[in-house]
Amino acid sequence: MADPTVSVRDLTTWRDSKAVLDSISADVLPGDIIGVLGKNGAGKTTLLETLLGFSRPDRGSVAVFGEDALHLSAAAKARIGFLPQQDELFGMLNGRQQLAIVAAFHAHWDHALIERLTAEWTVPLTRRIDSLSVGERQKLGVLAALGHHPDLLVLDEPVASLDPIARRQFLQQLFAIGENERRAVLFSSHIVSDLERAANKVWIVKDGRLHWQGELDALKESVVRLHIRSRAPLPANLAAPNALATRIDGNTAMVTVTQWQPALADTLASQFDARIDVEGLGLEDIFLELHR
Amino acid sequence: MFVLNPQSGTPIYRQLVDQVTRLISGGQLTPGTELPSVRELAELHAVNPMTISKAYTLLETEGLLERQRGKPMRVATRRRNQAPLAQRLQQLEAAAAELALAARQLEIGKKELLTLVGDQWEKENG
Repeated sequence: MADPTVSVRDLTTWRDSKAVLDSISADVLPGDIIGVLGKNGAGKTTLLETLLGFSRPDRGSVAVFGEDALHLSAAAKARIGFLPQQDELFGMLNGRQQLAIVAAFHAHWDHALIERLTAEWTVPLTRRIDSLSVGERQKLGVLAALGHHPDLLVLDEPVASLDPIARRQFLQQLFAIGENERRAVLFSSHIVSDLERAANKVWIVKDGRLHWQGELDALKESVVRLHIRSRAPLPANLAAPNALATRIDGNTAMVTVTQWQPALADTLASQFDARIDVEGLGLEDIFLELHR
Repeated sequence: MFVLNPQSGTPIYRQLVDQVTRLISGGQLTPGTELPSVRELAELHAVNPMTISKAYTLLETEGLLERQRGKPMRVATRRRNQAPLAQRLQQLEAAAAELALAARQLEIGKKELLTLVGDQWEKENG
């Protein structure tokens, strides 16, 4: 297997006697497109920033391209593209000037790509950045982060202000990046439907912990909702293995479980003399169930 | 050609595998038919090409599709032994369960449901 692009080990950060990152360990592999999901304040931004060495964790470590994230070489930094949640564009410049400055920092800036995307995404280049709409500004920020074909692209809420058409164009660009198996993308978003289209893996951050990490397909195959219908009233203390949520109402019950195995349906059916119907869940429902 | 719903609880690759499998066993996709390329399908449905590729690879492993050098995947030309009836029926189990559930919620009896399915079958088979 290829060396991980990012390797996170036991990452922990305290703020005001509360762990904002709590014992996080994870890898980003070349070829991954990882979607980072979490409630507001769950620690996504802190995680992404700590991952790139912008803040020092209280415990644990991060290696990016095999180097300590806190002391990255210039060569390693040149292989990273980052779009922070609050962009760092210069308001008094126009888009063209801003992109020229970013391009000057990179030996291999792809002018043709950026020109094409500027036209496709209709990014105004001749107006002052502080006069752009939030969405226009966000598109410019994404362009500034990817023009040098980074091997690691980290985007914190890149599409929050984009309209559906612009979001679709952004996804297509992510896929184009993903076609190169050397590259990895990590992006946080609340737009779950985009994550479902784009991400092969998902990280769900909850209370500073990586509550779930792995393939999106595996997550969907693991978390299902069972509808149990019995002839007799179901016991109030009905407990299915690996249950996330249980709602009992007389003869029927709804139980959401993880680590779903078809054999469980047979077990429950005979245990409660019940019919079991299995409902697969979309990512948004899974996210909600994981937060009960 | 395919209906892919990224928001479904069924992973996208699984939806594609099931549909191709059904179309091949149903004879709508005949041996030698070329499938859209990974990129075409990914672009059309705005989904990650990796997920399409995962489905195609799985279908290739199952012997339903074959890879051609520099060309799109196609439905396997080698005459396969048809899968046993039990296995083909198994592919319909999920759809049948869903139908039965809907019928029960609508308080439709077994006889009426079977008549409906029978009528639909007649329509499909002209």
